[in-house]
Amino acid sequence: MSDALRARAVTVELGGRRILDDVSFEVLRGEFACLCGPNGGGKTTFLKAALGLVPLSSGEIEVLGARSGASGRAVGYLPQAKAFNPTFPARVVDVIVANRRGAWPVRVGSADREAARAALARVGGERLLDALLRGLSGGEMQRVYLARALVNDPALLLLDEPTAGVDARGRAEFLDLLAGVAAREDLAAVLVTHNVAAVRRLAKRVVYLDGHVQAWGPPAEVLGREWDRDAFSGHDHAAPDAPLCEDE
Amino acid sequence: MGEILDALLSPLAQGFVRRALGAGLALGAAGALLGVFIVQRGLGLLSDGLAHATFGGLALGLLFGATVDGAMWVALPFTVAIALGIQYVRRRTTLGGDVATGVFFAVSFAAGILFLGLRSPRSVPVNVEGLLFGSLLAVSPESLRVILAVAALVIAVLAWIGPRLAYATFDPELATLSGVPVAALEYLLLALTALVVVVGVKTVGVVLVSAFVVIPAATASLLGRTLGGIAILSVTLSVLGTAFGLFASYHLNVATGATIILTLGATFFLALVLRRR
Repeated sequence: MSDALRARAVTVELGGRRILDDVSFEVLRGEFACLCGPNGGGKTTFLKAALGLVPLSSGEIEVLGARSGASGRAVGYLPQAKAFNPTFPARVVDVIVANRRGAWPVRVGSADREAARAALARVGGERLLDALLRGLSGGEMQRVYLARALVNDPALLLLDEPTAGVDARGRAEFLDLLAGVAAREDLAAVLVTHNVAAVRRLAKRVVYLDGHVQAWGPPAEVLGREWDRDAFSGHDHAAPDAPLCEDE
Repeated sequence: MGEILDALLSPLAQGFVRRALGAGLALGAAGALLGVFIVQRGLGLLSDGLAHATFGGLALGLLFGATVDGAMWVALPFTVAIALGIQYVRRRTTLGGDVATGVFFAVSFAAGILFLGLRSPRSVPVNVEGLLFGSLLAVSPESLRVILAVAALVIAVLAWIGPRLAYATFDPELATLSGVPVAALEYLLLALTALVVVVGVKTVGVVLVSAFVVIPAATASLLGRTLGGIAILSVTLSVLGTAFGLFASYHLNVATGATIILTLGATFFLALVLRRR
């Protein structure tokens, strides 16, 4: 079986600045990996490169056996910044169906509506189906975007700081959701996070990225080293058993 | 009741009124549909800028010796080129859409004034006021055919690309990931807007043509909850407002283009009052 994601000597330069330098690692099918590291370490850039949104200067990223950007509906993506047009008349059902169809639904048919409802049910958000997107709270928004990412039954999820801007209770609930989703045997995931509790709970492997791969392995081997203290929220890091604290 | 209706519709007995109605309805429908995307993208000033660019194109045609009708064939590619230039600057620089529009519109309008001044003193005088304020009741059969063709083209293309263009309008990055050719659709949207604006200048003039694109869509956006609903409402308001304005101006013996725009404006302010909080 091929890897879900394989990066080989990936280098990305943007605006004359080298963001990623000779990055190599793999994520196996069905594996939940966390991508950690300090701000500016290239985590979001790596996800966007894997999606084909950012060009590689050299190297290659293979996603589900295809080159980056060519895996289409088999990859579910939850962006960090929700950069949608806030004036656009978007309902939750429209947003989810748009990812299913690859076009905005002028009318939502019964099959599309049922698919959107089922995706929302997986994240406990059925009641949001006809809500306007711009009226949602931070936690509701993350659920909707996770449902959107799941609607095509992807083989790989790319999640970019999905609990950023969500309160402690919402983060705990969202981690429960991710744990449930990750329990599916054939679904691989790459989660960008600064939350050490999320890493300890979800990750089989951790990639610590600071422009280049500093470390890559099981959480017990990667976490707690001297050089990773900047990457995690202080309270979580100092006291791993404490309740979830601030995420970024 | 029937007699009143007959009296109100009596202007239709005259050919020039039928041509004006046909041109106004076609332009109103195409402009209102385009406007849904223009308004949602916050490009309300774009059509105004393109109308001023059209003045430059018409003046260039007149400099080449064309009639005002003939100059439209120079204004069409000229304005489409300006629209594509605006979109290029928007995509390739950090300047906002309004800045790019402002630069191109001022340069095109200034060039138009220069072109008119460069015409031979023996050339046929041009009614600049007619260019600025339009003459819907003077639409020729040939102009009507062009307007109908452009409106049909714009509506057909929008029916084809509309759902993908809407996705790109909602979130270009997510649309790109779904395989939507975002950049190409954005260029196409601006080119279609240029086409409608150029033929619209013939009916309501440079100053007022953008109202056909912006006002019905803005009104519908205040009232509608889904994109499909907004599109239907925008076209309906535009068609009804255009017909009402045309007949009202005829019976009141006032300027037709201005009456249509004021009618559309009245629906906008009514929607402001009626919209859901």
